Amino acid sequence: MMDSRGPVKLCITSGKGGVGKTSLTVNLAYALAANQKRVLIVDGDLGLANVDVLLGLSVDRTIRDVLDGGVDPAQAVAQVSAGVGVLPASSGVPELVNLGPEEQDQLGDLLTAIMVPYDYVLLDTAAGIGPSVLWFNTFTEHNLVITGPDPASLTDAYALIKVLHRDYARDRFHVVVNFVMSEQEAVQIYESLAAVTQRFLDLKPVYLGGIPRDTSVMKAARSQRPFVQQSPAQPAARAVFKLAERIIELA
Amino acid sequence: MTKPADPTLDCPIGQVECSLLQEIRGLRTEVEQLARLSQTDPLTGLFNFRYLIDALHREMERTRRTGLTTGLIMIDLDHFKYVNDIRGHQVGNRALQWCAARWLEVVRKIDVLCRFGGEEFTVILPATRLAQAVRVAERLREKLEISPLPLNPGELPLTASFGVDVFRANEELSPETFVERTDGFLLAAKNQGRNRVCYEESKVLRPATEVTPDERIAFFATRWPRE
Ligand SMILES: Nc1ncnc2c1ncn2[C@@H]1O[C@H](COP(=O)(O)OP(=O)(O)OP(=O)(O)O)[C@@H](O)[C@H]1O
Ligand SMILES: [Mg+2]
Repeated sequence: MMDSRGPVKLCITSGKGGVGKTSLTVNLAYALAANQKRVLIVDGDLGLANVDVLLGLSVDRTIRDVLDGGVDPAQAVAQVSAGVGVLPASSGVPELVNLGPEEQDQLGDLLTAIMVPYDYVLLDTAAGIGPSVLWFNTFTEHNLVITGPDPASLTDAYALIKVLHRDYARDRFHVVVNFVMSEQEAVQIYESLAAVTQRFLDLKPVYLGGIPRDTSVMKAARSQRPFVQQSPAQPAARAVFKLAERIIELA
Repeated sequence: MTKPADPTLDCPIGQVECSLLQEIRGLRTEVEQLARLSQTDPLTGLFNFRYLIDALHREMERTRRTGLTTGLIMIDLDHFKYVNDIRGHQVGNRALQWCAARWLEVVRKIDVLCRFGGEEFTVILPATRLAQAVRVAERLREKLEISPLPLNPGELPLTASFGVDVFRANEELSPETFVERTDGFLLAAKNQGRNRVCYEESKVLRPATEVTPDERIAFFATRWPRE
């Protein structure tokens, strides 16, 4: 049923840096795969802790080889587990996104071709509101905005939603609150954000869930494994499994 | 323009040693050589200006038919007048030959490297996007930068400036105006200090991201769970 509409595309984005985009992207992918979904991660960030580092990947084929050299697009994807493929950032995606409209279309066509065999596509983005972040956010039909419980990350999340809504007519935002102490805190943070978007943008984002601060996250990162695999019973993993279920319900 | 001499050309009356046929073959070869001469720059062996315009006509027509953009790089050696005036014309000529040879090592097979005249060179990049054309130009720039002309004694450092542009299928443009437009980017490269590549930077999206004072107040008016 999903095949007729192509994969569900979600862009994971935050405005502020270090709020957990990359770890959410990777773990959400594995959580979806645990539900028999085929997932493609597109790494749109050249930051230090990017997807290939989190998963201990080494990259040989790049998007650039595909665009310039007629390499088969599928060869740029690293299959990291049965259900999860990764298109790594080292493959030059962000650089390509900083191009003119015509080239962006080409990249879009290419991504669209690569993602055909998947059920879900998760795009991890860089921090900030640069052109590549905006491009990825307009490429997907869903925007997953992740924020922390602090005013700074919440304000940045709002700024991002504002630009995407006002300038790009986006209106399917899903909010995840990371680093919380409880589900209740996550809901409260979401509500303060939603209050401001409703008042100023006439827009209500959807609450997706919270992720507790959890030491198993860092431990898993250190061993370059997703925490949903390394410590599936810990609070962070359980929260991400719940997010995956909600996302499956979305479609 | 001209077809290569056909070695399989047969004598119509089946003679093995046909003098007429031999003469025809000879003439064909000569025509070919002349054609090549009229298209090449004798100093560097590169294609010349006339060929450039012909080839641009062809490639731009291809762009109109296929939609694939044609790239163009205009190149000018930096401070070449100095080389000619101070080091003499012979060194100047050797410098031009040197550049041509180094660049031929790094252009792609499909690219057409021409000497435009004086110390100006041009590369046509068939079916090439701007980003790719810029990368080719950057490669040419680097190659020259790391390849000083060997002199006896010593060596002469050489650099060049580059302007890059593409022709798109929906544009109304003659080869000459395409060259002129690309020359504008070359001029910009000169003005920005030489030894660089200039092109039209993509229209970078620069949204106003500010959160207004009102919005800020609304945020801080909310009760923070941890406060
Ligand atoms: N729920 C959590 N509990 C504990 N630590 C976490 C949690 N989520 C993320 N972290 C840690 O926070 C740090 C930042 O996370 P991550 O790299 O995923 O953020 P990011 O938003 O992708 O950052 P950037 O903007 O730099 O790309 C990492 O060290 C990660 O392990
Ligand atoms: Mg990240």
